[in-house]
Amino acid sequence: MITGSLFKIAVDALRANKLRSGLTLLGVIIGVTSVMTIVSALQGMQDAIEEDLSQFGPSTFMVARIGMAMSDEEFFEKLKRKPITMKSVSLIEKGCSLCSKVSPRANTGARVKYKDQALRNVMISGVTADAFEVVEVQLAQGRFHTPDEDRMRRPVAFISDKLRENLFEGVDPLGKEITINGRKYTVIGTEKKSGPFGDNQERGYAYIPMSTYATQFGEPSRIMLAVKAVSVGALQDAMDQTRMILRSQRHVPFDKPDDFDILTADIVLDVINGFTRILRLALIGISSISLVVGGIVVMNIMMVSVTERTREIGIRKSLGARQKHILLQFLFESLMVTLAGGILGIVLGFLAAKGLMAKIDMNLAPSIAAISLGLAISGGVGLFFGIYPAMKAARLDPVKALSYE
Amino acid sequence: MTLIETSDLWKTYQMGAETIHALRGVSIQIQKGEYVAIMGPSGSGKSTLMNLIGCLDTASKGDYRLNGKLVSGMNDDELAAIRNREIGFVFQTFNLLPRATALHNVELPLIYNGTPARERNEKARLALTKVQLDDRMMHKPSELSGGQRQRVAIARALVNNPSIILADEPTGNLDSKTSEDIMLLFDHLYNQGNTIITVTHERDIANHAHRVLSILDGQIASDQAGARQKALTH
Repeated sequence: MITGSLFKIAVDALRANKLRSGLTLLGVIIGVTSVMTIVSALQGMQDAIEEDLSQFGPSTFMVARIGMAMSDEEFFEKLKRKPITMKSVSLIEKGCSLCSKVSPRANTGARVKYKDQALRNVMISGVTADAFEVVEVQLAQGRFHTPDEDRMRRPVAFISDKLRENLFEGVDPLGKEITINGRKYTVIGTEKKSGPFGDNQERGYAYIPMSTYATQFGEPSRIMLAVKAVSVGALQDAMDQTRMILRSQRHVPFDKPDDFDILTADIVLDVINGFTRILRLALIGISSISLVVGGIVVMNIMMVSVTERTREIGIRKSLGARQKHILLQFLFESLMVTLAGGILGIVLGFLAAKGLMAKIDMNLAPSIAAISLGLAISGGVGLFFGIYPAMKAARLDPVKALSYE
Repeated sequence: MTLIETSDLWKTYQMGAETIHALRGVSIQIQKGEYVAIMGPSGSGKSTLMNLIGCLDTASKGDYRLNGKLVSGMNDDELAAIRNREIGFVFQTFNLLPRATALHNVELPLIYNGTPARERNEKARLALTKVQLDDRMMHKPSELSGGQRQRVAIARALVNNPSIILADEPTGNLDSKTSEDIMLLFDHLYNQGNTIITVTHERDIANHAHRVLSILDGQIASDQAGARQKALTH
């Protein structure tokens, strides 16, 4: 009852001082907007990375000579490793009871041409037909190659969205003939556009059957493997089995680390997150400064407001207002300003982040988490910076307040 | 029935190195239904006494009982509750909220004791009608004359049916004609059974009361029947 009346008193006070309320609001809006822009953009990046990595599939892991290197030294050290060969495929297929599929993949760079359009050094991957079951490649149109086509060394190619864009602008690529290092291939399918991190090949890439690859480029001497465990729950054990098989095949002494990398989406994500953690913290920290400045604006204005309304406070106290009534009245004022500023800041921050993300071809959806975070932050600012002026008002001595000029 | 009872009330201020005794052992009793004027020159301690009686301030020493309750020693919030229920203030400078309507100003004491909005509105309207301002309810103080403002303040003082109406130089900012109107209003309220205490330095104003307490240098100098009391012999 009383709380409702105090709330109304606060609203009236804010309306009576439109310019002042507006300026305070502006301070909060700027602060919340900058934080929300950064937080939303970072969240969008995170979602995009996770979506890209979800191509791995939840029960799939990769085995590679060099999976990831976070520094030059690490990379050069890993360059000394022996390659993974086709022999490992059959060993894992036989020895790993928890692996359902082992899909080898060989990569090379080649010159790809369609009519007058030619691209150098496009990544060509030779994969078996089941690669498309192990790694979750999204189909845009057409189809993948079949086991029969693999067996019969058919010259068919499945191309990435980037490559399609580069070669076939405004042309339906299905059934068209391209050449890879001079050899003719028929395009049978295209991949869906992936996120900004998925297609890290500027020119795009193409998948061709493994046997066709061997025919043109020779039996691959170095490959990587995509392995699918029988279930998501068995992923860890399947990785351990595979690790033991490869260690014994490659004669790694028991006291030495693996001389190959095993990666899952989670491992990659952890590494990326670890690498970007400082950057993210710094961005959030820097944007928070404007939020603190906004809070100080609120506090400053509230202090002025309390001083200016000393007499009003004295009148209210003489009429029976208790400390908590005065406290709530002023706290409602600062909370209302910061929450209103917060709501506007959330909207503006989201739009700004969406604009940023659009620049790198990414979409951003509003998230409940970001909105609640924004509201919590702005409410917190209102409470934190509003409590001192409100307490100062509540504790005023009624006699002194009444005689204040 | 004794409404106000103070015994040996002291109020001491520290002004730098100097100690100022604003009140030096004031002991008074005021009965329910009395009309008392507290008189004295400025600096005599009459405002300090009014602040203590009005529960705006607490004494440095001595006891104060209001309606049998020991007020000295109460904390800030308890005093606020007493002010809300027991005391209706009328100030020299009116002390109305400038941005609020007369009606809202009168509603204020009811807000702080949690009276529901509708009842609040009815009571405030009734109080404003009692002071003949029923046609000015939605006016802001700046749209009212000095006398009208003071009548809004009186309506606000009355709205909670307090035990005491405490008026501090209620006519200090009014011309003599309007002052007389306001004092007639106090007379009327007194005749209806309200307990009224006015603090003033003007003999004319004090003459409306039936009892005059003179205060000098922080002590009660005299306690006499007022001029009107003598004339009318109630």
